[in-house]
Amino acid sequence: MKARSSVVPSYVRPTPRRVAGLPSPAWTVVLVAGLVVAIELYARSGAVSRLDLIPVSEMVSRSVELLGDRDFVVGALLRSVLLICASFTASAVAGVAVAYVMARSRWVHRAVKPYVNVFYALPIFALYPVMVVMFGTGVVPIILLATLFSVVIVISNALVGFESAPPIVTKLALSLEMSRSQQLRKILLPSALPDILAGLKLGLAYAIIAVLATEFILATTGLGQVVNRAYNNFNTVDMYAGIVFVSVFALLANLALGAALNAFDWRRR
Amino acid sequence: MSARRAGGPAWIPPLVLAAAIVAVWTVTAALADSAVYPGPGQALESLRADIGDTRFMGSVADTARVLLLSYAAAIGVGAITGMLLGLSAFWSRAALPVVYALNSVPKIVLYPIFLLFLGIGDLSRGSFAFVSGVLPMFLIMVEATAGVSRLHLKMSASLGMSRWSLLRRIVVPSVLPSLASGMRLCFGLTLIGLLLAEMFSGSSGLGYELLRNLSLARVENIIGQVILIGVLALVPTLALQQLELRIRNRYEVTA
Repeated sequence: MKARSSVVPSYVRPTPRRVAGLPSPAWTVVLVAGLVVAIELYARSGAVSRLDLIPVSEMVSRSVELLGDRDFVVGALLRSVLLICASFTASAVAGVAVAYVMARSRWVHRAVKPYVNVFYALPIFALYPVMVVMFGTGVVPIILLATLFSVVIVISNALVGFESAPPIVTKLALSLEMSRSQQLRKILLPSALPDILAGLKLGLAYAIIAVLATEFILATTGLGQVVNRAYNNFNTVDMYAGIVFVSVFALLANLALGAALNAFDWRRR
Repeated sequence: MSARRAGGPAWIPPLVLAAAIVAVWTVTAALADSAVYPGPGQALESLRADIGDTRFMGSVADTARVLLLSYAAAIGVGAITGMLLGLSAFWSRAALPVVYALNSVPKIVLYPIFLLFLGIGDLSRGSFAFVSGVLPMFLIMVEATAGVSRLHLKMSASLGMSRWSLLRRIVVPSVLPSLASGMRLCFGLTLIGLLLAEMFSGSSGLGYELLRNLSLARVENIIGQVILIGVLALVPTLALQQLELRIRNRYEVTA
């Protein structure tokens, strides 16, 4: 009440600790819970056909059931996880290597940088049909596309890291006559590490998006294909279960990698 | 400029790289001599044939129209709602984790929901493209608004500015550089969203053409269309980059 009578506008007042007795994390929970309850009630109210929407509780219980389904776990989940890991690893290694070469060679830097800058403006998924024709509907086109899609974000972040090494340290390396590999191990990599880690986190998110999107559009199996097939078979329950599963999976994977990588980040210690 | 020192103007190395890639492509395609690996000549040839086709050009126009609408909507909605939320630090802190979480979910798997509620057609793919673009735009704008200089805010408070003139005179000019880079990022994301949606289910549009040619196994057409899509995506991006550069020079607050 006192705050309301103040002439000081809210945007310059100190941020309140609580609003209506709740701190901000509690409001986050309220927001999510409100959304879930609203969907649940809307689905149960009968205003919408069961072919279009099912209650959240059913989505969740079905997606937990899916975890007990051997076909789903081995055929779809495990396969997608392996594809994501393979493309993430490939793009992490290749991305840091390319960024290192760019940081070392001025010519390469100038040749590649313009393409890195505009890469995400290009709808790279348009290449997927080409790759499918060349390599079939197996794992090769998915890994290729996911690696390509996630490598560029790793490159651009790692490059920022390599270039942010303080000039004074680079000079020190020169005066100590360190070899190239010593410079890389003792100076460039440690100083670029926080940016590389930020790039890797994004790289995982991009790899997940690419693998699921390509599986969703055209594949024989995999998590994305589970959703696609359920949609095409009018199996609304499985479709929503798949969507919930994929969303939770992506969220947990990103959070887990984020937490794991933060442990290496000396800026956060 | 230090870039001039290391020999030749800056545009030579990227051009050399592009020429090398095209050369490798031409040679390997000629060596492979395979129906599923056409060379650049064949690809451009079939692209020219496609461009002469009215049905194909109709698809291009459809994609461009839906893209333009959803892009404009994503920019407008994302920028305005982002600015409004960004003004309140408390509510940003409460709402942002949810939006970041939503943004990290691969949105394409949500596309069937759009289809169920909006049906196959312009509305569903346009809305999907909109959602792909609006979330990043929103996040960028919230962060940018939260970063508006406190000194400027205090000044506007002591001048007794109204909410509206606060937005118009302080917040908007301060967030313009972020708005410009958001517009550039958001364009690519909206286009990817739209193409994915069209590839999954469409009756027209560039993504639909790609998958149609896939089932007809006409690789040279697919590659030709990929080139066309690349050019169509690149031109607005370069224009937006220029815009961003100008806005940064004009509005960016340094120090």
